[in-house]
Amino acid sequence: MGAFLALGLFQGAVYGLLAVGIVLVYKAKRVFNFAQGEFGGVAAFTAYAIVVGTGLPYWAGVLGGLAAAVATGLIVERAIVRPLESSSRTIMLVALVGVALFTIAIIVLVGQPIPRVMPPLVDGGGVNILGAGILPQQLILMAVLAVLAAAMAWFFKTDLGLAVLASSQDTRAAQVVGISPIAVSRLVWGMAALLGGIAGLLYAPVGIFTPGFMTLTMLVPAFAAAVLGGMTSLPGAFIGGLAIGVVQNLGIYYLGQQLKVPGAAELGVFALLMLVLLIRPQGLLGGAN
Amino acid sequence: MALLEVQGLRAGYGPVPVLHGVDLAIDEGSNAVLLGLNGAGKSTTLMTLAGLLPATGGTIHYDGQPLTGTPRARVRAGIVLVPEGRHVFPALTVKQNLRLGAWTIRRDTRRVRSNLQEVYQIFPRLEERADQTAGTLSGGEQQMLAIGRGMMSSPRLLLIDEASLGLSPKLTEQVFAAVKLINERGTTVLMVEQNAGVLAQADTAFVMQQGRVTITGTGSQTLEDDVVRAAYFGT
Repeated sequence: MGAFLALGLFQGAVYGLLAVGIVLVYKAKRVFNFAQGEFGGVAAFTAYAIVVGTGLPYWAGVLGGLAAAVATGLIVERAIVRPLESSSRTIMLVALVGVALFTIAIIVLVGQPIPRVMPPLVDGGGVNILGAGILPQQLILMAVLAVLAAAMAWFFKTDLGLAVLASSQDTRAAQVVGISPIAVSRLVWGMAALLGGIAGLLYAPVGIFTPGFMTLTMLVPAFAAAVLGGMTSLPGAFIGGLAIGVVQNLGIYYLGQQLKVPGAAELGVFALLMLVLLIRPQGLLGGAN
Repeated sequence: MALLEVQGLRAGYGPVPVLHGVDLAIDEGSNAVLLGLNGAGKSTTLMTLAGLLPATGGTIHYDGQPLTGTPRARVRAGIVLVPEGRHVFPALTVKQNLRLGAWTIRRDTRRVRSNLQEVYQIFPRLEERADQTAGTLSGGEQQMLAIGRGMMSSPRLLLIDEASLGLSPKLTEQVFAAVKLINERGTTVLMVEQNAGVLAQADTAFVMQQGRVTITGTGSQTLEDDVVRAAYFGT
């Protein structure tokens, strides 16, 4: 059981990292960003092409991957989000689903739909934690998530972070004090894409990866994590991610292995989500903000 | 030379024209009032001056130069709007609202700090409520916060849109007194009002009707004007 707990925590860290990006966009723009996963996809495939394709050093792949993710975020902001700014949130949501599918299609076209193995940032065998073999890559992931969640919480205390919050609360008032709505929009999407890119780069080397891997396996649990945490709370997204990861794996252990219930991982997640939302409809750490 | 000189200003919302040639001249240091009933075009005038609406005709000169550019550029130039309906940031604290008022000068921390002290001096209530979220303030306090936030970037010209809207006569008097104090400390003020009581403290007054300025004079002259008395005091 310890092994399932440990695996859950590390898987949950990826959910948490994606969820932090989702919450950032939601907090600032009241938009559900279904393209968040594919910022990671773009980063992973770009880094793979650089490291495995050209043989350049790993750091070049990381930088290239993150740059590609941020560029994608800025293009999405300019080409899709800004023109739809005044349309309904439903239209925006569908458009962002479209962005995710379109991005996957491009990756399939350019990179072929074959599974790939990304070399990890740090080599070496698994470390035994509670009976589970945890890769060094997963330990790094966990540390990065903690640092990023703290950094984001700090960001919203700075003038720049306050300006982002202010724009989301009252765009007209933000303009009146001299905050440019376009600059805020670019900043938010650039940061969200960077967070997504980091998630993709850290998660890709954990197993094999294929086009769309972030959206197909990570995005829905990440959304559940964001909702669980309260949708507007960055620490909430972090904790929500870990909780989802752990419950998924404990579900597999108790319901799946012991009681032979099919779909045990999903069942566990939705039971948790419903339970939390019944008791606290605003999520674990959600508030007025 | 006037700090702000507006000639033949036209503006509107999409195809609907609201301003049909507005003329204004406001001297540096003056306490000016733009009086008008609902729909006269007062707010539209202020929004155009603040760069939130494009002018479709006419000219605006500020400090001798033609005024163009984004709202941000105008805040930097010293033109700050206190919008109608207060528009505070409801989920941020009073202090955070004020900090954001200093957005364009945020790197000059010394000036930000001294401006904050000045705002607290004029509105001691805001200092008492510094850590409360703005959404929990009363209407009068929110209006004080909106004006205080406007002062945080050291404006040369403060445009205040209907500060008295929805306030009790007593609170209105307090807000007008605070604006008078701000003006006496050196900021040029243009207040938009439906409440003609404000004319008593104005040195320059403009009366707007249907998208044009129809009466210009000093505050006390305008207060004696027959048209104004009939429209605003029913006498």
